[in-house]
Parts: sequence; structure tokens; C-alpha cells
Amino acid sequence: MWKYVKRLEYPIDIKKKDLRMAKLLLEQLGGANGELAASLRYLVQRFSMPDDIGRALLSDIGSEELGHCEMIATMAYQLMKDATIDEIKKAGLDDYYAAFGKGIFPVNASGVPFTATYINSLGDVIADVQEDMAAEQKARAVYENLMNLTDDQDVVSVLSFLRQREVVHFERFKELFEHYKNMGY
Amino acid sequence: MYNDEFIYYNSLPYQSSNPNMMNDGNQLSNKQNNYLDYKGSKTPSLYNPYEGLIRGNMFKNLYSPYFKEEPFPLNPKNNQERELYNLMAYGFAVTDLNLYLDTHPNDREMISLFNKYQNEYNKLVSEYESKYGPIELSSKTLNTYPWSWNKSAWPWEGNK
Repeated sequence: MWKYVKRLEYPIDIKKKDLRMAKLLLEQLGGANGELAASLRYLVQRFSMPDDIGRALLSDIGSEELGHCEMIATMAYQLMKDATIDEIKKAGLDDYYAAFGKGIFPVNASGVPFTATYINSLGDVIADVQEDMAAEQKARAVYENLMNLTDDQDVVSVLSFLRQREVVHFERFKELFEHYKNMGY
Repeated sequence: MYNDEFIYYNSLPYQSSNPNMMNDGNQLSNKQNNYLDYKGSKTPSLYNPYEGLIRGNMFKNLYSPYFKEEPFPLNPKNNQERELYNLMAYGFAVTDLNLYLDTHPNDREMISLFNKYQNEYNKLVSEYESKYGPIELSSKTLNTYPWSWNKSAWPWEGNK
């Protein structure tokens, strides 16, 4: 069961429109290492975790990642909501606009739609938790790429928050991994 | 993957009992070193909820910024934003302590801090909702006509 909470995890208030950045940020919504892949990955993998430690951690991180999908979508929305057709064409967002208008659709930065093949769920605790650790590091690296691509403090501060969450999640997954190794898995 | 920059073994309770755990092939005989059984290990040092929120991290030993050491301060434009950011800070502390407690279920001090922050969060949410409308479906402010859930600001729209 989930309940919606009508607030973000961290404040987002982007004043300057930036269509190019909106397009790039979609990488972390619909991309291979994005937040949608992360939440889906943990929320399906948790069913085959062997104990309550793993079931709890994957449920709780998976839920937090759903909130991160909302944050990325909020940034993309705020960056492009006031755009004119001319600006959309100039920013190279016309291909996205042709398919989705100003709707928020889970694609990567190159416009490729989200696919479940980005994730795995093998029912093998070592394989799954190792994937989770790698996924957090890959998401951290993508946030750093995105931080390199903008000077807007309203955007960088949010990316910095999300990047730091990957650092913390990685640590927790590493603890879980070592817990299972210690148990003999 | 085991990049030193992101590993803080010294802070982990299982480090002292078995420093070679990562390389220990004989895991089954080491059950007594399972870190979940630890007692009396030091609770990690934390930021306060606001300092944690602006960093995205409550745990001082895990904070690892990218290209800029200082976190970004929040600049609320009005009282509503100030109160919203305040409850977000406590909500964030609850989220981050929750994840820690999932892998450290025996940390009594952290359990008590979790409950303290949870109570403070609930108090701040009630105060906020009484002024600006509901943000949780458990809100007492929903006992109104007409239905008020759709009146308060949507997160992506900013404050009304």
C-alpha cells in the first residue's frame, strides 16, 4: 500500500526556463540509471529477499525513489512549462514535442522510452543486491554529468541533493550485501 | 566499486569485530560477527534536520559532496515556505534514519531519535495543514465542505 504525500522530499523552485536542461534531465526519469528504473528495481526485487532486513530496506529505498521520480518530473515541468514553439524548436526539443507535447513522458535524454529491460530481478540475493549497489553508483555518476551541464543554482541544488541520496543508498545496500555474505549467501 | 571515497568502514559497527570480512571466505563460521548482533557500538554522528536536508544526508561520516563543499542554503520567500521547509527537514530526517535503522535495528539511541523526529514532523505537519491546507490524507483538516484535498498547492506548481 502507498499513500501520496502532497509535498516534495526537497524544495524545487526553478525560475528560469531551460528546455535543453529539461530534455537532459529526463535521463534520470526514463533512462537506464534513472529514478523510475531504481524504484521499479527495488520494489520488485524485495519479494525474494531472504529476511526482514532486505525486505525493509528495498521497500523503503524503493518508496523514496518514487518520490525522486516526482522531483525529476517537477524539474522538467518547471523548466519547460512557459516555452514557446520557437523556443522548443531552437532547443532541439521539437522531436519530443512532436510526440508528447509538453507532457512529461519517461524517456532518456535521447528520447528513447523507458523499458523494464533496464532492470533485473533474479531471485538471487547476491546478484540482486550487487546490482542495486552498482545502480546507485551509476545514478550518482549521471547526476554528476548533469551537474556539469548547468549553472542554474535552482537546478544544481536539487541535483546535488539527489546525488547525495545515491551515496547514502549505496552505503545501505553495501551493508545489506555484507550482512548476507556474513549469513553465508 | 570498492572506491575508498564511498566506503567508510571505520564508522561501521562490524568493522571492529572482523576487519577482514570482505576477504573472508569462511563466512558461515563467522555468524557471531554478524553486525546486526552488535551491542554498544557507537551511534554515528548526525547533522540536525535542516543541515541534513540541505546536504541530502543526515550522516556526517557519509557526506560526500561533488565539486562544492558547502551545501546550498534554502531561501524561503515567505512564512508558508519557511514552515514547509521546516517540516521537510524533519520528514527528511525521518526518511534517512529509517534507512539506517533498517540495517542497524539494534541501535537504541537512533530508534529514540527517529521517534523524536517523527513526533516533531507530525506536529509541524498539523500546524502547516491548519494554515495552508492538507498535505497528507490523514489530515484532520479534511473534515470540511467542500472537499479540501484538491485546494492546497500541488508540489510541482509551487505555492499558491
